Amino acid sequence: MEPMNEALLVQTFVKLADTLVDEFDIVEFLHILVDRCVELLDVSAAGLMLADSYGRLQVMASSTENLRLLELFQLQNDDGPCLDCYRTGQAVAHPDLAVAKDRWPRFAPAATKAGFRTVHALPMRLRTQIIGACNLFHTNPHQLALSVTQIGQAMADVATIGLIQERSLRHHETLIDQLQTALNNRIIVEQAKGVLAERRSITPAEAFDLLRAYARRHHHRLTDLATHVIDGSITATELLNTTSTSPPPA
Amino acid sequence: MTRGSRLDQVWGAITAHAAARGVPVSLHVLCETAIARLPVTGVAVAIPGGFLASELICVTDPLSRRLEELQLTIGEGPTLEALAASLSILVEDLDAPEYHKRWPLFAPQAIDAGARAIFVMPLRIGAVRGGVFALYVNRSGRLPANDLAEAWVFAQFALELVLNERSRIITQDGYPLAYGHFETPPEVHQATGMISVQLGVTMGEAFARLRARAFADDLPLSELATDVVTRRIRFTHGDTG
Repeated sequence: MEPMNEALLVQTFVKLADTLVDEFDIVEFLHILVDRCVELLDVSAAGLMLADSYGRLQVMASSTENLRLLELFQLQNDDGPCLDCYRTGQAVAHPDLAVAKDRWPRFAPAATKAGFRTVHALPMRLRTQIIGACNLFHTNPHQLALSVTQIGQAMADVATIGLIQERSLRHHETLIDQLQTALNNRIIVEQAKGVLAERRSITPAEAFDLLRAYARRHHHRLTDLATHVIDGSITATELLNTTSTSPPPA
Repeated sequence: MTRGSRLDQVWGAITAHAAARGVPVSLHVLCETAIARLPVTGVAVAIPGGFLASELICVTDPLSRRLEELQLTIGEGPTLEALAASLSILVEDLDAPEYHKRWPLFAPQAIDAGARAIFVMPLRIGAVRGGVFALYVNRSGRLPANDLAEAWVFAQFALELVLNERSRIITQDGYPLAYGHFETPPEVHQATGMISVQLGVTMGEAFARLRARAFADDLPLSELATDVVTRRIRFTHGDTG
């Protein structure tokens, strides 16, 4: 593989550990994690699932749309490496999904059809508490180097600690409460995508790109921006106005 | 996945309670089941009100009724706060100084009425605010983690029943999740956002319309939502529901 971008790696660890800043946004945080996994670990796609308060996994972030669909497929069919990883708390890997039908009769063919050949699922775990799994996919038969999976696991660990700290330190909330908030924030973003998609006659995916770009440019939390879009205090026109330099009212 | 989990246990308990009483599943049955399974004195469900800040739609006992009415009268308290902020509020000891400071009128009167611990969970799906699920206890103490997790499950089912009522969906004894949001794909929430623009209504109203139409047309919610997102279906004011 290519030499790892160490500067980006260090920056990523700082970012993942830094959940206590004011503008922390869990939806954005999880998207950064999957994007950085793709950039740093030389994988084709990365996805992240967290357990809700009923102990059921939810797809929280995916670097690509076809991976999101595959992750949902795993949940719906109760079959796949991410579920195994979450249940056992152990990393799960398969170097060639084309020959993994015995292990995952429904998932393996679906993954191959979606263009993925290799999977690594890393647990998001702090001591005995498992809050989810981070999944790395490659389009070629591929064995990630041990050093790479170790870095991936370290990123998952730091993110897990960050998430749990964010819950316990910031708001004195329980983990359940915070996961509930995380899930809810994700739903707010989905609703805002719908509002924007309808107003601008674009797809929800395009609407998400607009939201993220605007949130970054104006240092908004993604969830706050989504709330503003829903209540109408930021209009679709403002979001599209990419040349605007004056930040909107917070 | 972990089916046979808390969701099944709680829903099983609710339907068993309804069957034992010979009545259909309702919010009242849900609240009674919650009292039987959780270490609490009373349960209340309130929804955002029109004229008043909140509207009490289900209450199991005089203490809970008194506490809800007290908050409406004096205009402060955990239910009103949870409704406004959409955050859960877990009060282990209402007599602690921080709560006297936070609710100078409510705290002493609530203690006089016999309440010592209060746990309020918001009923929400993104920007859809469905109300609150409130648990009252006549002694102080933390709600153990397992009970808290179960309380969240009760709260989610309560939301389900509130939404069903709003969409005029008849709640069957079967799992209500066919129209629920537990495992709903993002398309459902995206479609809700789109419908809110198409009809010029709130997110809550849009979600109620989507659910009502799925129920009326006997379609899975996710299927109807996908039709909305891919623009095969538009909602117009002429639609019923």
